[in-house]
Amino acid sequence: MEDAEFDRLLKVCRLKVPAKQREKLKKDTDDILRYFDKISEVKCDDVDPAFHSIDIPGQYREDRQVKFEDVEGILKNTKTYRFFVIGPKI
Amino acid sequence: MKYIEEFLKKEKPSGYYNKLLEELGGLNRKFGAFNFINKQISAGFPMSVKDNICVKGMETTASSKILKGYIPPFSATVIKRLEKEGFSILGKTNMDEFGFGSFGINSETPAKNPFDETRVAGGSSSGAAIATAILKYHVAVAESTGGSIAAPASFCGVVGFTPTYGLISRYGLIDYSNSLDKIGFMSRSSEDIRTLMGKSIGKDPADTTSVDAVLNNVSKQRLVIVDELYSKIDKNIKSSFDNTVKKLSSAGFKIEHLSIPEIDYSIPVYYIISMAEASTNLAKFTGFKYGLKVDDFSKGYNDFFTEAREAFGEEAKRKILLGTFIRGASVRSKYYEKALKIRRAIKDKMSSFLKDSFVISPTMPVIAPTIKEAQSFTPLQNYSMDLLTIPSNLCGFPSISLPSDYLNGLPVGIQITGGQFEDMGLVSFGEEWEKSFKYNFKYNLGDL
Amino acid sequence: MKIGLEVHVALPTHSKLFCSCSTEDADQPNTNICPICMGFPGSKPSLNKEAVRIAKSVSKALNCKINQSISFVRKTYFYPDLPKSFQITQLAGSIGIGGEIKLSSSTVRIRRIQIEEDPARIIRESKYTLLDFNRSGIPLIEIVTDPDITSEDQLREFLSVLRSILYYIGVDIDKEMKADLNISLGENRVEIKNVTGIKNLIDASRYETKRQGEIIKSGRQPEKETRSYEEASQTTVSSREKETDEEYGYIYEPDLTDFSVSGLEIKEDVFDARQISREIADKYSLDYKTILELIALDKDALNLLKHGLEKTNLKPDLVLNALEAKKRFGNAVNEKSLVLLAGYIEKGIQIDREIIKKVENGIPPAEDVISDEKIDDSIEKELSSSPDLVERYKKNPKVVDFIVSTISKKYGIPQKKVAVRIKDILAKYIK
Repeated sequence: MEDAEFDRLLKVCRLKVPAKQREKLKKDTDDILRYFDKISEVKCDDVDPAFHSIDIPGQYREDRQVKFEDVEGILKNTKTYRFFVIGPKI
Repeated sequence: MKYIEEFLKKEKPSGYYNKLLEELGGLNRKFGAFNFINKQISAGFPMSVKDNICVKGMETTASSKILKGYIPPFSATVIKRLEKEGFSILGKTNMDEFGFGSFGINSETPAKNPFDETRVAGGSSSGAAIATAILKYHVAVAESTGGSIAAPASFCGVVGFTPTYGLISRYGLIDYSNSLDKIGFMSRSSEDIRTLMGKSIGKDPADTTSVDAVLNNVSKQRLVIVDELYSKIDKNIKSSFDNTVKKLSSAGFKIEHLSIPEIDYSIPVYYIISMAEASTNLAKFTGFKYGLKVDDFSKGYNDFFTEAREAFGEEAKRKILLGTFIRGASVRSKYYEKALKIRRAIKDKMSSFLKDSFVISPTMPVIAPTIKEAQSFTPLQNYSMDLLTIPSNLCGFPSISLPSDYLNGLPVGIQITGGQFEDMGLVSFGEEWEKSFKYNFKYNLGDL
Repeated sequence: MKIGLEVHVALPTHSKLFCSCSTEDADQPNTNICPICMGFPGSKPSLNKEAVRIAKSVSKALNCKINQSISFVRKTYFYPDLPKSFQITQLAGSIGIGGEIKLSSSTVRIRRIQIEEDPARIIRESKYTLLDFNRSGIPLIEIVTDPDITSEDQLREFLSVLRSILYYIGVDIDKEMKADLNISLGENRVEIKNVTGIKNLIDASRYETKRQGEIIKSGRQPEKETRSYEEASQTTVSSREKETDEEYGYIYEPDLTDFSVSGLEIKEDVFDARQISREIADKYSLDYKTILELIALDKDALNLLKHGLEKTNLKPDLVLNALEAKKRFGNAVNEKSLVLLAGYIEKGIQIDREIIKKVENGIPPAEDVISDEKIDDSIEKELSSSPDLVERYKKNPKVVDFIVSTISKKYGIPQKKVAVRIKDILAKYIK
């Protein structure tokens, strides 16, 4: 992977790392991707992808309101202002 | 032996739990089993909970700095079910951050093996295995994505059970890789696993991927050894395993060697799928709604998020980078989609011969390495340690890891894999095994 | 010019798309929230059946092929209003694929209709943002069109037709529709994100057409970029860097599975207001546009129109006139009052609130019992009590219309009847 591409990847991931760790991570990434490339040897174009390992029929939820019993417990985890959650600037 | 049943029958002296907590505190400092010990416990059968499983009102961090201070306002379904059945939470157990590791050292407090504290306890459910190895009356609720129950169970000499995917609700589990994550258990006996399964499995409306199933005590007399796996086992382990197989053979099991060439791809396939999913799961940690808080809101949101995400450990960062890369539009079909196809191919192949047999292998290809050795492994060396546990995990098949030998005082384990929903067949196998093989423990905290 | 749209429409369900929190407006922020719509670690989505049922109805109404087994994907990007930093949405497993909307002289193809979750409401402050997660997880559908719209008129027609179709299957988008506009005059596609409301969509497209046109005229090409619409100045500006498709890194949503939609009931009668208007116009020789305007977003009006035409002996144009009154006076005009009201209209009485009240109370127009004497008396009475009216008439004979309508209203006499007598009587006063 080119340096510029790796830096772009870091940015997309919202990650910033010190120079030394950056070198290590870049090398690991290259090594691991090379290892992953191994799977291109396998021929299985006519196989359906397995999104799960077992088949699970989707079961819907009925459209009923249930109030969550501990809204306060949720908001205790965060900073609020007049019941709004405070977030970073946009 | 049924520890759960025995405990309920026996008279507990007054102050039992206080004494237990006191002794546990000391050993915990030595081995790093718990991230949090529940000082309020005063009744019930002690159960520890891996720290990536939510318990209402109890700090849950998945051993990550980025989740420091997260107090879930709800409990995982499996915890609710077990609490109703008389199990009480003793604490939250140490683990590799978010489940990312095979040795328990990707944590602020690296876990240590109770049989030799210079060695690793195994991971990622390191604390669950240590707790099981030091506490006599206790069960651990743990979780496995690619071998996180079996690996530490075998290094710490306890029983580790990974159920069929979907049998136990994942609601309340902090995700590593949703299509692979399975909540399971560790205990000192297979019979206790049977008790736990009976009280925890079944469809949960809060987890769409959970299922109901009828579990039978499938009995199989044929055990399959997969050549591709067998050939990669360390020398010491191999001779111990051969002895175990001999014992099983003379007990009437038919042993067969088989080749499954596709199985060699299970490690890259497993890591591609799990990293792709993990990198999306880890995107939500941005430093303001829960856990670690960044103070300065006036930073633009990109800088704000980036500052928060510096708190991830190195393996988490590696998984985010790789996972994000391989699901990018231009390479997605080469990595992510291809891996999903190979997963099906491997699963179909394994299913076909699991019809009339179980698969047997050592649980880990090596004896528990020292912490120093493990710290010097490259990521790829680390990943290759999972080669024996990954195939069953990748296919969602149940597996049980049982202590099978002690080499220089260090436990090693065998792993039996069954077909989908053959969970109780594996438990039965374990129960039989325990009739002729006695497990050793160095500690028996809470003995009565 | 080529315009494509991605229209976002909120679905009318009781609970959110992936959790049981209420979708109703709340007095306070962050009251209809739970770990799922807050994206708290450990929570998992569970899919609302009604949302899928409605989305299926919409797909059918827009002539899409219905995917019998639907699935979801994660679209990952970072923004404070997105709780999990990924949105659960649909791609290949979308509920509706490949439909179309026919306009008067063109067709807009629908690429797909996908079900997805709304992010939180975000309020920008100078040094931070404020977030209300009551909106987080509200079920949306996104209707993605091909770039088949080629003029502002088509855009306008598309939006009003779409709105009417949705209205007739129970998805009323009076709360402003939100859309992303793709406009390209040249080689590159320009995307204008998050434009709210039909008027703004049209203004934005007008500005953008002009802007791109000027760039091309000067011999250059508009850049491929994302822009946002500024309502105050009616312009578009280049916006913050947005993630590209490469960066969204779609993967299958592994917390959900594939869902069969075959068991979900669709409302059989999908209405096309235009077709119905056309049929009625042809059958009863009425004005098509007037009918369409009356019924496009008013199901009651359509029912009343049918009732009036089929079940009463009223003349069709009278029924239509009565329906126009409905537009102003609402549900006071209904099956019960229709005939009576038409009676007033037929007699030339101007319909106002007072007349509506009379109609509601079942009072028929009084004309038939008014004698000629009474009419003359009323006119005399009014003229003698308001000499200024006569003066004004002297200066400008056109004032007669005003006098007629004043007397008609005040004494409850049809204008026609007043008009017949007014000139004679006025003549007396002028002398």
